[in-house]
Amino acid sequence: MSEQCVAKQNLWAKYQKDIADDHYYYCRSCIRQTFFPASERAYLNIMRDKLGKDLFDDPNHTTCTGIAYHSDLVPMQTTETVIARHFALMTEAGYENMAISCVTSFGLYTELLHTWEEFPEEEARVRQYLWDATRREFKKPKNIAHTSDTIYKFRNEIAAQMVRPLVNVKTGEPLKVVDHIGCHYAKMFPTKGVGGAEFPRVLTGMVDAWGGTPIDYPERRHCCGFGFRNYLVMANRGYSVANSKKKFESMAPYKPDFIVTNCPGCAMFLDRWQYTIQQMEGTTYGPDGQGIPSLTYEEMAGLVLGYDPWELGLQMHQVDVEPLLDKMGIQYTPRDKWTGKKH
Amino acid sequence: MIMQQKNIAIIGGGPAGIEAAASLAGLGHHVWLIEKESELGGHLRQMYNLFPDKRPANEVLQEMLSHVKNANIDILTETQVTDCKQIDNRFTLKTDKGQTLEADAVLMATGYRLFDAARKEEYGYGIYQGVINSFELEAMLKNNALKNVKGEVPKRVILLHCIGSRDEKVGNNYCSKVCCVTAVKQAIEIKRRHPETEVFCFYMDIRMFGPFYEELYREAQEKWKVTFVRGKISEAAANLDGEIQIKAEDTLIGKPLHMRTDLLVLMCGMEADTDEPVAKQLGIERGANRFFRSADNYTRYNNTNVAGVFTAGACTAPMNIIDTIANARAAAISIHEYLGGRN
Amino acid sequence: MGKLYDQLMEDVRFVEGLNACMNCGMCTGVCPAAEFYDYDPRRIVDEVQKKDEAVIETLLKSETIWYCGQCMSCKTRCPRGNTPGFVIQALRKLSVKLGYFTCSEKGRQQFAIKRTVGHSILERGYCVYPDIVTPWMHPEQGPNWESIYNNTEEFMAKLDIPYKKEGAGPLRKIDQKNLDELKRIFDVTGGTEMYDCIEKYSAEKAKEMGVDIENGDYLNMVFKTNSDYDE
Repeated sequence: MSEQCVAKQNLWAKYQKDIADDHYYYCRSCIRQTFFPASERAYLNIMRDKLGKDLFDDPNHTTCTGIAYHSDLVPMQTTETVIARHFALMTEAGYENMAISCVTSFGLYTELLHTWEEFPEEEARVRQYLWDATRREFKKPKNIAHTSDTIYKFRNEIAAQMVRPLVNVKTGEPLKVVDHIGCHYAKMFPTKGVGGAEFPRVLTGMVDAWGGTPIDYPERRHCCGFGFRNYLVMANRGYSVANSKKKFESMAPYKPDFIVTNCPGCAMFLDRWQYTIQQMEGTTYGPDGQGIPSLTYEEMAGLVLGYDPWELGLQMHQVDVEPLLDKMGIQYTPRDKWTGKKH
Repeated sequence: MIMQQKNIAIIGGGPAGIEAAASLAGLGHHVWLIEKESELGGHLRQMYNLFPDKRPANEVLQEMLSHVKNANIDILTETQVTDCKQIDNRFTLKTDKGQTLEADAVLMATGYRLFDAARKEEYGYGIYQGVINSFELEAMLKNNALKNVKGEVPKRVILLHCIGSRDEKVGNNYCSKVCCVTAVKQAIEIKRRHPETEVFCFYMDIRMFGPFYEELYREAQEKWKVTFVRGKISEAAANLDGEIQIKAEDTLIGKPLHMRTDLLVLMCGMEADTDEPVAKQLGIERGANRFFRSADNYTRYNNTNVAGVFTAGACTAPMNIIDTIANARAAAISIHEYLGGRN
Repeated sequence: MGKLYDQLMEDVRFVEGLNACMNCGMCTGVCPAAEFYDYDPRRIVDEVQKKDEAVIETLLKSETIWYCGQCMSCKTRCPRGNTPGFVIQALRKLSVKLGYFTCSEKGRQQFAIKRTVGHSILERGYCVYPDIVTPWMHPEQGPNWESIYNNTEEFMAKLDIPYKKEGAGPLRKIDQKNLDELKRIFDVTGGTEMYDCIEKYSAEKAKEMGVDIENGDYLNMVFKTNSDYDE
């Protein structure tokens, strides 16, 4: 093993968070379900059908208000109380562990529990708010995981069922994968993320387990540029695209086969801003005028497990994924991309 | 009045232990100078030259060593104290070599541990080859082998102050004191040998606490054209060429600053060796900074909470060689007084 | 009301976010906003810790506090355990409360976010939902999204996504009972008050600027105006 690997392994050993191994209350993501609804479905499918896990997908779940919170539309107490309502729904359903599909939510849930430890009066206040508004009470979750944490935990079980490893079938070489972790996953609370804030392991662990090669690049840790109000308001989007561009320029020399993302927003921005930059100035970051496909980890896991790419919703990407599917030797029917498998 | 010869065990054969041994022997006492390494000298052995006058470190060490060639001093190298008990005014020390030493007083001269730069994860020490620590740079200077990762003389070197010092994130709120002037000394040495190499020091505050240190800082600027940037580097990453890309703020103009460098040198601070077994067994108290606590900062600096146990040098606080030597002499006098030397 | 600094201290994020700053610049060095705007989180924290009321008032009325993208990269790095991103949240909240946000172009944008994301929460139960990502407000979404947007029900049906349907699953319809609970939480916790505050001060500002808020002109203006670019 190289010295570099030893140093990384030492670092990862410091950040092995506790991840519950079954029975999760599932929290959806505003952005993931909007832009990658099939990823959320694939996640539940993999966890239940491939791994035999129990998850509760609650029709009563709502947003955590995280995007509004970080856009300063709502006070902290509103967000805390909405999250407390999710704790109550979880408690009522008889669950103790949460699997959260959104990095912003995951960061907020974690921050909230931390704040309540530091300021117990804040927790008391929120319990009262929730009671006044909904007559609900709650127990705090025993375990909070981002949904990618659970896939990471079972990456070897997934590898055992692997149909298409992350290997270029033409060259036999491992696919080169750059990971983007999403700022709120571990930058706020490094011990709450697998592998910590600087060299997170949650995605590279999957890539390694499934036959690919994780690629580090200088701007790996840089924000995708979402920036909440910096994207939501059209006038500010220069911020957003400029930050993504910085990342593309930094990763392009490494010739990655695809980007894998932890956070649903990042997955979308790293896809759409490539289109925008191509439209604005004609620049593309992949070979032959192509972009670099930007996948969610559910999509990556789904492809590895042999799911149909169009059932995984890969047609919702603006950067074409076909070159990647070809490299992986995945059969697909071009016609089905827009007409759907059923029709 | 002729004093009966007393026995003193000195734990640690670095500059503090050597100097205290010489002083105590000169005062007529018998000393065991116990050093775990095969040679005396501690960290001083690894140094090329010393600030502020650039005197060769080995010259100073050899002069000091000449003072411990004394019939009253038994030098026990490659020896560790495994057990230490106090009964009344007597200390019984057992070593891993099977010796049993009956001492009237114990002097802790255990020095410091260099801060492990890998703990500042954002700089990728151990992962990025171009990131080294200040002792590795000193070794390069000592061996006349200043090289970048390609084996060439670096075009640019950046020295980053305050690694593991003044940093709540690693639990060290204190200033390690010597790193600023060490950086200045090393920067000058690089420029002296390789005038074409650009040298930058990134600092938070330049702390030139000793005589002629400020003058050395000025010499670095005026004569050697070392550039000083006020801002602590936020992160470092390697690019494809093995260069290190850094992000910082030039706080004096209030703008972000990105640079590439062949070498990023982390100026590591000092930490107390909290694993030291003798201190644990004797119950010697440590301060909030984990260094040994003085019985009184002003009038009983070298005394501990345990009668008969004294401290000297960098095990009490980050300390330079000059102050360590003076401090060791002060400790010797304190021990001499304790043993009845002053009636 | 009390002094501005004291009002900031009522926000736990401010207490949590600002201990003492030694101006090392690690936050600014890693800040995506500092790379893009003339923005320096270190300077903001330093200005606030000096407790000068006039300086704080200027900040609350400035463009500066609205540049932060809330990535919280600053939190990881600060050697003093501060979080400039939390300090920004407290400043923005106070700016909205006092109506100072309408003094700046970036601050006025709160109205557009409230009318889009803010309404989506209470009407759809989620901050984002396909029908609010309109191609004319989001040209960067590209042609694939545009075709999905124009045929969302058909597209989602082919993908077997229960779009706007009852029950569980992605993009399902949130029933009224749950939306009512959200609204009551907003009423009890000050969310509604903050929304109303944004509406009230925005209406005053629109009137002052002579821009119609009823017909959507003010929304369009705050959503699209970028003086930095237009210059």
